[in-house]
Amino acid sequence: MMNAGPITLERLDELLSAYGADEAGWPAGERQAARELIAASAEARRLLEDARALDTLLSAAPVEEPSEELVERLMAARPREVPKELPQARRGAGGAKKGGGLRGIAAALWPYGSSAFPAGALAASLVLGIALGTSTGISPIATNSGATTTAAATADTTDDQLIAIALADPSYIEEWTQ
Amino acid sequence: MDGIPDDELVAAVAKGDESACRELMKRHLGRVVALARRMLGNQADAEEIAQEVFLRVWKHAEKWEPGRAQFSTWLHRVGTNLCLDRLRKQGMDDLDAIPEPASEDPTPYEAMAQKDVARRVDAALQQLPPRQRLAITLSHYQGLTNIEAAEVMEVTVEAVESLLGRARRALKAALATEKDELLRRMNTGA
Repeated sequence: MMNAGPITLERLDELLSAYGADEAGWPAGERQAARELIAASAEARRLLEDARALDTLLSAAPVEEPSEELVERLMAARPREVPKELPQARRGAGGAKKGGGLRGIAAALWPYGSSAFPAGALAASLVLGIALGTSTGISPIATNSGATTTAAATADTTDDQLIAIALADPSYIEEWTQ
Repeated sequence: MDGIPDDELVAAVAKGDESACRELMKRHLGRVVALARRMLGNQADAEEIAQEVFLRVWKHAEKWEPGRAQFSTWLHRVGTNLCLDRLRKQGMDDLDAIPEPASEDPTPYEAMAQKDVARRVDAALQQLPPRQRLAITLSHYQGLTNIEAAEVMEVTVEAVESLLGRARRALKAALATEKDELLRRMNTGA
């Protein structure tokens, strides 16, 4: 099948019946022999024309372009670039020169780490202060009645949880720096 | 981005390069949709398959090994397998089985559709057993060589040739009665 010698009409018919009239689709090893037979034989040319007519018909089968919605769905789901560098304010005092604005000022004030940290500490202190104020009875809400004691106990638990979250979860501090 | 090889585009896709994603889709999405459209017979299913193929590209772009396989052949292989899976789930367990013939009496809708040359050819294609349809789709419509088609279908080159021969003979027979009329219409643009 793959020899370079001449081919028969029967073999040419098989080739055309399988691959059609476009010689680019014929097996490379038989392409030249098929060309030579077609050039030499009227019957071979008739077979070729017959195959070409079927090719023309088949090429009329419908095909649509991908919809814009599909393209946009795929673009939305594409891989995203992972940032390689941290924000400039984290680079210390040197970065402040390039940073500018509030970020540059924050870096100058807090040259040893994230400028978000003092803000986080301030927020945590605020929460802690409210919690202490509530649980030590400084708040005018805390009275001697049993009902309010129960309410204060519940408030203690909730505030403890808030403080724990504020101090233990570093991820949201990261978010501030974005 | 025109001259950039597929392998380099895939590497850029893995790094989240937006323009590389667009270029890769510009080159290949239409061909994947066309493959699935011809295998499944409708555009909505074809786009679902194409979406799944490209989601896999996005997911595995990082692991792509340049030179190990031709990217377009790999895409055809993934698309083909997803199409064959879809056909199996639709109840076509035997991929060489010949589908039930269409009714002799066309419905009004079918009669209207039959006036359209393209729809008539497509209907004939959809009547082929899936593996014959796949062979003619890869060879005639997608322009794959016999070696590439064999690789995608995971069969020998001889098996591809046999499937192609059977497919084209069936199509020729299915379209024989209207062949002259169809060709005349196409040539005159009627």
